[in-house]
Amino acid sequence: MREDEEKPVRVFGALLVGYAQACVNLNIVAGRRGAELVGGLEVNRWYPLSRLRRLERLVLETYENSGPIMERVGMEMMFGWYHFGPGRDLIRSGADFLRFQSGSEGYASVIDGPDSMLGDFTLLTEDRERGRATLRSTTPLNRDMERGVLIGGMKAPGDLDFVDVAYMPDRQAFSIEYH
Amino acid sequence: MIELDELLSMHEPPADLALSPADLKRLYWKYRGLLKDQQRDQAYWAATNDNLTQAFLKLDEKEKHLARAYEIIRDDLRVASRIQQSLLPSNYSPPELDVAVYNRQLTDVGGDYYDFFRTRSGRAAIGLFDISGHGVSAALVMAFLKAQFTLALDHLEAPGAIVDAVNQRSYGFLREVKKYATVNFVVLDHDALTYAAGGGFGLVMHRGGVSTFEKRSPFLGLRQRTYPQYTLPFNEGDLLVMYTDGIPESQDAEGRDYTVRRLNDLIVEHGDEPPARILERCIDDYESFRHEVSDDVTLVIARRKA
Repeated sequence: MREDEEKPVRVFGALLVGYAQACVNLNIVAGRRGAELVGGLEVNRWYPLSRLRRLERLVLETYENSGPIMERVGMEMMFGWYHFGPGRDLIRSGADFLRFQSGSEGYASVIDGPDSMLGDFTLLTEDRERGRATLRSTTPLNRDMERGVLIGGMKAPGDLDFVDVAYMPDRQAFSIEYH
Repeated sequence: MIELDELLSMHEPPADLALSPADLKRLYWKYRGLLKDQQRDQAYWAATNDNLTQAFLKLDEKEKHLARAYEIIRDDLRVASRIQQSLLPSNYSPPELDVAVYNRQLTDVGGDYYDFFRTRSGRAAIGLFDISGHGVSAALVMAFLKAQFTLALDHLEAPGAIVDAVNQRSYGFLREVKKYATVNFVVLDHDALTYAAGGGFGLVMHRGGVSTFEKRSPFLGLRQRTYPQYTLPFNEGDLLVMYTDGIPESQDAEGRDYTVRRLNDLIVEHGDEPPARILERCIDDYESFRHEVSDDVTLVIARRKA
């Protein structure tokens, strides 16, 4: 085992709070589960990945068809990030979000741990003229939520009329179209 | 030529509508974008509706389980109630007494228990108990106490010693199941009665006047102390009344207590009437006073016959 593999994967509190807040805003968890979701989270603390997994499970176990729900959670998270968080100061257009998310301030800023366990979130191709991009994701995050994050992040600035994020066949990459 | 943003801010398109190729292209993507949003919305709401449907199905299933469980509990309670009734002296009362009894449990099975016994030497005895709580657990404690008194009466004659023996045997068990019971235990002699009491209420009308029971001793199961006994005259025509706290602690709509005094005054006022008539008066007065039934109620009235 390499030395860096002994470090646990951690997620930043802002991501967890954003996730929890999105679930609360959408009313998709309630009662005991809702209380567990938001209980004791701090924005500026690092938490083990298992904490995010636990929060994810609250939704995944509640909904038989959880894909569209997790996607909506991702979109709602980015709506909050842009309109009530730092997003407005960090990106100016929907297309900017693609570079932002694959850069050091995006995914990499909310997750920490050994490279081998973090995976990556990489912009493979980008054609701004045609409004097309492909992006590879091997992160440990829920793929449907990640898709929602991309849709929500690109739509949040309000300059795009059309955003579609489709899975590539292996679900390890997204094909993105925007206009 | 009108611009797309201006066009979309209007209530309806102008008659001579014309858009630039760029705006037409934008309109196309805007329309496709709205369709995409609609698809996402539909998928989201379909997922939440599916979830709601699943939740209702699960709720139906749980409701069926609950209904089955409730039916089992109802059946058990019916049996427990029947068993409890069989433990009470249904038609029997000591021949030397004219006895009237009112016993109503708050639930199917309750915690009030009265019984008629005989000591080994053949003297009549009456016991009245109020077991803490209600329901099956109280009824089981009642069965346990009945067994303990029956055992004690096999070899003891004095009420103080009998209650003391029952308390000694029951103390550990009652502590363990977190129950206790008030006790009034009376043994009759040919011209007197002797009682031991812990918590219950008792009154005797005799030629010398009216005496109420000393009730300073602890409830069964609370302390391991000996029970003193007291003797009162009890001759032909004298009246013995014992009751639990159901009547005196009942409340009217304003939250006022019925009180021991009100019940005792009523009994004394009509003390020369037959026990059944006195009982009727007491229950009528209680029923017209109380706001709701909140406890088991037992009232035993006995007059010494010739």
